[in-house]
Amino acid sequence: MAKKKLAVFTATGCSACENSVLDVHFQISPVTPWADIAFWPYVTGSQWQDLDHVDRIDLCMFAGAVRTAADRKAALKLREKTRIMLAVGACSAFGGMPGLVNLAAVRDEGNSAGADEGIDPALPGTESRVSALSQIVDVDYVVPGCPPPKNLLWSAIQALLCPGECTSRISYAASRLPERISQCITSGILPPKGGTFAGEKAVCASCSRVKEEKKFRSAFRPYAIDPDPGRCLLEQGVLCQGIATREGCGGLCTAAGAPCRGCFGKAEAVYDPGAKMVSAVTSTFDSANADEIEAMSNEFVDLAGTLYRYTMAAQCALPVGPAKDENDAGDVL
Amino acid sequence: MMQATFFEPLRWREHPARVAVYNGGEELKVYYQVTAPRDLGAICKGRPVEELPRILTLLGPAHHIASAVTLDRLFNVEPPPPAVNMRQALLQTLVFSHHLRKLFFFLTSLEDPLADRHSAVRTLGPPRFLRHVFDEVMQCLSLAQEAAVILGGRAEHPLTAAAGGVSRYVKPQSYNRLAEIGDTCVIFAVKFAEFCGGTLLNASEAGEALNEVSPGPMSSMSMSDDADAAIVVSDRTGKEIDRFTPADVFDKVELFHEPWSYEPFACLKGKGRNVLAAADGDGLYFVGPLARLNRGLEPSTPKAEEERGRFIESLGPPPHFSLAAAYRALLVELIQSAEQMTVLYDQEKLTGPAVRTIPQAIGQQAGAAIESPQGLIVHRYRVDERGMVQELDILDTAAQNNALHCRIARRAVELSKYGNRTREETKKNIEASLLPF
Amino acid sequence: MNRFEPRIIAFLCNWCSYVAADAAGVARLTQLPNVRVIRVNCSGMVDPSYVMKAFADGADGVLIGGCHPGDCHYISGNIKTLRRSFLLKSLLRELGVEDGRFRLEWIAASEGPRYAKVVNEMVEEIRSLGPYVPPQRRSAKGAA
Repeated sequence: MAKKKLAVFTATGCSACENSVLDVHFQISPVTPWADIAFWPYVTGSQWQDLDHVDRIDLCMFAGAVRTAADRKAALKLREKTRIMLAVGACSAFGGMPGLVNLAAVRDEGNSAGADEGIDPALPGTESRVSALSQIVDVDYVVPGCPPPKNLLWSAIQALLCPGECTSRISYAASRLPERISQCITSGILPPKGGTFAGEKAVCASCSRVKEEKKFRSAFRPYAIDPDPGRCLLEQGVLCQGIATREGCGGLCTAAGAPCRGCFGKAEAVYDPGAKMVSAVTSTFDSANADEIEAMSNEFVDLAGTLYRYTMAAQCALPVGPAKDENDAGDVL
Repeated sequence: MMQATFFEPLRWREHPARVAVYNGGEELKVYYQVTAPRDLGAICKGRPVEELPRILTLLGPAHHIASAVTLDRLFNVEPPPPAVNMRQALLQTLVFSHHLRKLFFFLTSLEDPLADRHSAVRTLGPPRFLRHVFDEVMQCLSLAQEAAVILGGRAEHPLTAAAGGVSRYVKPQSYNRLAEIGDTCVIFAVKFAEFCGGTLLNASEAGEALNEVSPGPMSSMSMSDDADAAIVVSDRTGKEIDRFTPADVFDKVELFHEPWSYEPFACLKGKGRNVLAAADGDGLYFVGPLARLNRGLEPSTPKAEEERGRFIESLGPPPHFSLAAAYRALLVELIQSAEQMTVLYDQEKLTGPAVRTIPQAIGQQAGAAIESPQGLIVHRYRVDERGMVQELDILDTAAQNNALHCRIARRAVELSKYGNRTREETKKNIEASLLPF
Repeated sequence: MNRFEPRIIAFLCNWCSYVAADAAGVARLTQLPNVRVIRVNCSGMVDPSYVMKAFADGADGVLIGGCHPGDCHYISGNIKTLRRSFLLKSLLRELGVEDGRFRLEWIAASEGPRYAKVVNEMVEEIRSLGPYVPPQRRSAKGAA
């Protein structure tokens, strides 16, 4: 059987996702018995020309948001070559933190225009808004997280790259993966398209903190409180987005005493993460008096930037930011 | 019209970058271009300031700690000693992982780490034994990451450092594990330095090539070890020429923009864009391991001092500016960070009555600096009365040292041209030259 | 030139506001025809995502009508709505939805005239604000 071909690429993001993929290879199990690395600029130094010598990529792990014309071109080119496109990490899946740029006032464009053509090299133009990969090309599967936990990355590699009879695949305990995906992993078929390699429920389902239906009269900014280590953060008045966020991390941040900020994107049943949080937060207000409620509501600052910290580009029902302009599609490189 | 050659994308860069070479006329022109904007201002402005430690991990894990230290100043709180130690322990762990990863990357330029070991189509040549070293390096790296998770919650994007301290204690059952990891890291670091320093950097062909490449003598910038945490600039001979507080750094360092790069170029104040063309590197500075080593201070730990001795033995007393020196400086710091990890991974140091001081009031403006693995980083925030970020200045002296990167890339291209290297070899040279800075 | 006719989605509680709307119709009070009414059992069931979805799907305004505090058929459903309204309004504001486009009103079953007044006011206010277009699409329209 011919070995499969793997590509790994990061558009605009950071190196955390790249390092996570590398760590999977070395720390969990080597990927190379099942696949050849056909294109991985960060680690093997591949260049774009190398792609021309490859007929087809079986799995492309695409990390990072689409910010520049070069990113868009990369996404299109990789999609064209690739059978299965996997969005890795929050930036690629939902725009991630770079997506907050869309919330800022329209940027002064023209960063690429100033270059003195012919003397200095040009720059790939900046697009007017940051996009998630799925807004540019068809995405087959998603591994969310910032960066994605190794076990989820590994399960994605298992499901998408390894042949069915591989022992590690069959023994993989798909404990908190959606049932359909874990069944597919163990039976050796591809999961249904569009699947997410993470849980289905909210982070609260795997958070170790105790929830007691307590109400609070005063909200706290995270700097102003040293929360009780065993109790639900939201019930203590700290804005924690676990309830609107897809599980799969195991409640990592809340266990470390930090509120969830939603790097796994919205949970399956949630329509809009911000609206869900408004509902969740206000249900813990201990007051029936309009003035008091208004005062408590005003204690929460920067709702858009917090509730859509990782998801502004792709999951906000009322997307903000400048419109796509015609230049975006153009080949600026 | 001159013909441009692009080397893109560059290997191992944390931010997308490429090198453009114009090679047609009399003069060789080399550009180090950062090809995507960071947009930090747009991402951070309007956010509550206490969120910055988590947001700024975008720039690298050390920014998490730098940001928390800046918040301490902004909220005018003193973190309790266990919190300070925990942050410091995390920082040393990050130094260790960062240096080890860079050295790992350096080794992968000699042999493809991902080639199938038993496949007939292995592309790269002989030193097969490296494959076992890769495995060992990654095992040790995974241990260091485990320690970082114990201390920071996550390895790549840590989250425990908060205004006034850290968000939680280390779990009691983790102390033994931390100690274990610390010891292993020291043993590994020493062994690894022996391997790299002895065989690779000294004797091999690769080592000789490294000695050739040098961006030339220039100033260094690093933080003083003493209590006043000042930033020290030393000249090309290693002599201290300036010393200032982190808050003043933006008056001492100048950032200028070029239309062909998304990121600014840094140089010492008053030198301006001439530094890009200057033949002698005047106005540029080194940061990071080599800068710290060039100041000539002795490491506080014994094994690191031994390694520094070997460094001096083989290259002579600092300052040094060659690539080989930069890689060896990584080795010295690798050992030093491992040794400091063992000192800081101590239950006594990480426990106490509190790990956080809760702030009472929000200041208006504050700045702070730390030595990150790559080099000095300075954060400065200005906030409104509700603590929402209005302005932020971040000087990541290593990542923003683009003028130096240009110079290094030019050197690498010049040497390749002189040696009639192929395109692939040239690209490798550029990448290996940029890696340790 | 055609006058802009706003589309307003009104979530009306079965026990008070919907009855009021009915009464307003029976009494032949003048109401502007821009409101699409959705009857809900209680204003407390109008999740913020319903409001967001209405805007996302093209509404220019959203009205929630409930019983006066203390009169809720389900004891405290309308208080739940009240708790949500301020934070929801802040969120909508940050996402570029002007304040006048979202209203929470207490309208008792007997207050038919008040219902008509609220609707007419809201239509005029939104008419002056213009159509709601998510900011992402707004500049495209402006440029076209």
